[in-house]
Amino acid sequence: MAGIWIIAEKKELAMELLTPGGQLDAAGGGRLTVVVPESEGDPADYIAAGADEVALLGRLSEEMSFSSWLPALAEEIKAADPAAVLLAATFRGRELAARLAARLETGLASNCLTLAAGPDGTLVMERLAYGGAALQRVAVTGRPVMATIPPRTFPPAATVPGREGTVRRLPPPPADSLRVLARKEKERSAQDIAAAKTVVCVGRGLEKREDLELARQLAAVLGGEIGCTRPISEELRWLPENLCIGLSGVQVKPELYLGLGVSGQIQHLTGLRGARLICAVNRDPHAPIFPAADLGIVGDLYEVTPILIAEIKKARGG
Amino acid sequence: MPKVVACFKWVVDEAYIRKGAGGALDFSAVDYKISEYDRNALEEAARCRGEGGRVVALAVGGPEAAKGVKDALSRGADAAFLAADPAFADLDPTQTAAVLAEVIRTRIPYDLIVCGEGSGDRYAQQVGPRLAENLGIPCVSYVQKLTVAAEGGRIVAERRVEEGVEVVEAPFPVLVTVLPEINVPRIPGVKDTLLAARKPVAIVKKEELPPMGEAKLETLALAAARMERNCEIFGTTPEDIARFVAALQRQGAIG
Ligand SMILES: Cc1cc2nc3c(=O)[nH]c(=O)nc-3n(C[C@H](O)[C@H](O)[C@H](O)COP(=O)(O)OP(=O)(O)OC[C@H]3O[C@@H](n4cnc5c(N)ncnc54)[C@H](O)[C@@H]3O)c2cc1C
Repeated sequence: MAGIWIIAEKKELAMELLTPGGQLDAAGGGRLTVVVPESEGDPADYIAAGADEVALLGRLSEEMSFSSWLPALAEEIKAADPAAVLLAATFRGRELAARLAARLETGLASNCLTLAAGPDGTLVMERLAYGGAALQRVAVTGRPVMATIPPRTFPPAATVPGREGTVRRLPPPPADSLRVLARKEKERSAQDIAAAKTVVCVGRGLEKREDLELARQLAAVLGGEIGCTRPISEELRWLPENLCIGLSGVQVKPELYLGLGVSGQIQHLTGLRGARLICAVNRDPHAPIFPAADLGIVGDLYEVTPILIAEIKKARGG
Repeated sequence: MPKVVACFKWVVDEAYIRKGAGGALDFSAVDYKISEYDRNALEEAARCRGEGGRVVALAVGGPEAAKGVKDALSRGADAAFLAADPAFADLDPTQTAAVLAEVIRTRIPYDLIVCGEGSGDRYAQQVGPRLAENLGIPCVSYVQKLTVAAEGGRIVAERRVEEGVEVVEAPFPVLVTVLPEINVPRIPGVKDTLLAARKPVAIVKKEELPPMGEAKLETLALAAARMERNCEIFGTTPEDIARFVAALQRQGAIG
């Protein structure tokens, strides 16, 4: 193992990837290179967190997309020949990783939850397959070993003041055939359900958007946050996408998860692995969420939720 | 009008995977399906075809994928290609993209290629972007809205990025990967199925293709990721719910 590269669009993602990157680097004793846009803070912060080299991506013109870095990064990586390249599994990161892997003729392990060097130095990654029903252990046989890692899989790397490293800047690449016509900011929830102690999750059992109020009231008495299933955020668009829990959303690890009208398909359940207590209200006794839950109420959420709110208040009031 | 290729994968329906002894996965009772997001890809391809365009559905897989070809043809495609061989049953993303690229390059004229964002089984989200690279064409991934300006020979795509949406324009030939919210895939009716039976299907055998490269991603182990807990079920009377709340308190989940 010699040399690890980390590529991320955002500072916090690069700081997270420095955690596994630093561990691999310590095992192999190579250089640790961080590639981030130059807008992402002070390069000294990455160096303090373990980077030996920071390569800053120059500012792109408005019409250019992040993917236009592909040819330049492929050349950089070929020249440096690192043992491993880690990318943050964001939308752009996942596309860039797959295209880089194709250009470098190597393998890529997507959406890795763990990453560790085996006794013989081979990197072994764990990821979910079959919607979350299976844990797949994989190894990459090409060089470099490439992996994408979802945001928040690792904590940010610890910083050590006084570390030294080099900083260089990559000039923006020439325009390619893609042209950005417009950018729209999406509504994002300021809540951070990944860190919430209590999550009330709504599913398609909710009949209409206004009924979110009922779930909000329950979340309020529990002192928790609202989350949702993918159809609620992606199809119905009743809640912002960063509140979607599951395989293609956020992994939550609350003390209490309470699902209202959530069927519990495996792609959703896999986002709850870290929850301490899983509870569900569903009118279908055969809903797959029940076997995965600790406590369940079989019933209509519209009937149950108001009583639940009242009983919690009562219990609190003593 | 555009010549469109829609790629699809014939995958194990995860709902039928059982947990065998010792955490192993039991595939003995599984059924197969067209991977969810590839249904969106097929639907979007049919929508983009417009008047006078053509949609070719393409899959690579084991011989059992022949069933999927019928299903794909009942979802609006005009013709299908299937690269089928027992050796193609469990390819890694590098190999899948290589076979697809080879079949497309040598056999299917195209302006636009549509893939699902990832497959329902491995969900590696690599085949679309890798295929674009193998063909040397631009790639727009995670698209939630697509407009084809066929006269202009280009697409306008709204693609998802972390901060929201980026609207991009790209010239033909181009590859897009689509998100599930891009459309609602049709449910094929009897008529669609009957029509599908008359559409042309070309089978490409392994021997007709150049030798396939080695897999670059090796699966070392595949085990059931257990989610079972012992669920205690409560009823809906106020007394039942009071007991439920008491249980929450006992568990320290509410103060
Ligand atoms: C590759 C892939 C990735 C995916 N990623 C995710 C993901 O990250 N997150 C995610 O959530 N999904 C994801 N999905 C989708 C997932 O498979 C399910 O479709 C989704 O989770 C179902 O959402 P739901 O439970 O809200 O809806 P449904 O499955 O429609 O369930 C609604 C439930 O509400 C119950 N109900 C209805 N009315 C009432 C009532 N009045 N009172 C009580 N109960 C009622 C019904 O009995 C039913 O069980 C993914 C799918 C794929 C293929």
